[in-house]
Amino acid sequence: METIIQCENITHYYGNRLIYKDLNFEVHKGKILGLLGKNGTGKTTIINILNGYLRPRSGVCRIFGEEMENLSPTTKSRIGLLLEGHIQHTYFNVQQIERYYSRFFPHWKKDAYYDLLKKLQVSTTQKINTMSCGQRSQVALGLLFAQDPELLIMDDFSMGLDPGYRRLFVEYLKDFAAEGNKTIFLTSHIIQDMELLIDDCIIMDYGRILLHQPTGYIMDNFRRFRFSADREQAVVHEKLWNTERIGNRWETYSFAPVQEVKSILETQGATDLKAEELSLEEAFIGLTGKY
Amino acid sequence: MYNALFYKEWVKTWKLIALATIVFGGSITYSFISITQDLRVAGAIDVWEAVIMKDLPLLPTLKWLPLLVSVLLALAQYVPEMQDKRLKLTLHLPLPESGIVLFMLSYGITILLSIYIISYIILLSGLSIWFPSEFVLSSFYTTAPWFLAGLSAYLLTTWVCLEPVWKHRIINAVFAVSGLSLFFIDARSGGYNLFIPYLLVFTVLGLLFPFYSVIRFKEGAQ
Repeated sequence: METIIQCENITHYYGNRLIYKDLNFEVHKGKILGLLGKNGTGKTTIINILNGYLRPRSGVCRIFGEEMENLSPTTKSRIGLLLEGHIQHTYFNVQQIERYYSRFFPHWKKDAYYDLLKKLQVSTTQKINTMSCGQRSQVALGLLFAQDPELLIMDDFSMGLDPGYRRLFVEYLKDFAAEGNKTIFLTSHIIQDMELLIDDCIIMDYGRILLHQPTGYIMDNFRRFRFSADREQAVVHEKLWNTERIGNRWETYSFAPVQEVKSILETQGATDLKAEELSLEEAFIGLTGKY
Repeated sequence: MYNALFYKEWVKTWKLIALATIVFGGSITYSFISITQDLRVAGAIDVWEAVIMKDLPLLPTLKWLPLLVSVLLALAQYVPEMQDKRLKLTLHLPLPESGIVLFMLSYGITILLSIYIISYIILLSGLSIWFPSEFVLSSFYTTAPWFLAGLSAYLLTTWVCLEPVWKHRIINAVFAVSGLSLFFIDARSGGYNLFIPYLLVFTVLGLLFPFYSVIRFKEGAQ
């Protein structure tokens, strides 16, 4: 399978604060990969590194085989970039910005842009800086769809959007990806949106990748276990994640089968064990902890 | 593609360009009215004497105008690029990055040169109606540093705007103001003549500074 994005041994610091050490991952053609992580784990940083807007201390990223700092114009034309906050040139109006970008991309789909904007109560002469955050997000998305890139890189696409716009955004993205041969790399704080969208999931912890797995694998296998136990110390085991006491009961998370977890916990005095399936957001909390 | 870049710069700046044209036109008109008024009221001999013996400048109203217009043009072009780091969008366009920056700078310089050259032609043509060619040439040399200061100010303001770190911006701004002060040293007519080539070199070197800011922006300087 063709590799679209490749990051090798990325290490980066802000001052003395380590952001990543030897970060490695790949994104393959046709996949939608979501980068999840708490605030400050470096999600935007990796987007900046990928696009050549930040030089890491060491390591290299490649997009379509080209190193991030020297992306050729041809390669850039194959990448659609959505900046955090749906940043665009807001001094343009709706018509002007379409006219501006259309000159740069050979496969420009004017109709895709205007079809999306028909849903908004805006005129073609309305300036983007007079629009709401949700409307601006649709302008930015419409421009990306009109560009019709092979790779979409989206930084926190759900930032500032109300649930309706978030859902609209996700549905359009799903349709876009379904056209085939589209690769999407995105970050978001709203994990419930990602659940509807992403094939693969990278969960970031401070300084490292905590997990890189298909979303389906996480949803099918990662469970929360609630149990009672007459003990003060949390059960520590390599197959258990973030075990903590909630009131007079305990909870822990695991990828291991229910029977295996049961036998691990019963040896530690656990009783009244209940296994629960999780949403992606709950799984994220289970993997990264609440704090 | 460069047509589209021109379009973007034009959308950002056309109001300012219109305003600058009106202000330059108004200032030149005012200068001509002032000169004809002096010639009518005081007489040609007194005006000529004041210009020759007392070294009174013929076009004092134009001293700071090129500088002001240049700074405003650079701000109009580059502040929107640095707001929310929109420069990332511009540099992500499928064109060579240095070509994009050079084109944006060329746009500004071309606009300024157009305003300056047209102003010069009108000014010098107008002056040659009332004054001999020596006076006109002297006015050219007197005003040349002001117009060069305009070009230099445009490049230095761009350098300051595109710098991604505020602390460095302030340092750059101090350097820019110091450099620009060289264009405005009080001197008698002709006193700057030998210095103008050096000011020209300073101005041309200023073309490199914005590229340095863009390199720092690309590196993600914090």
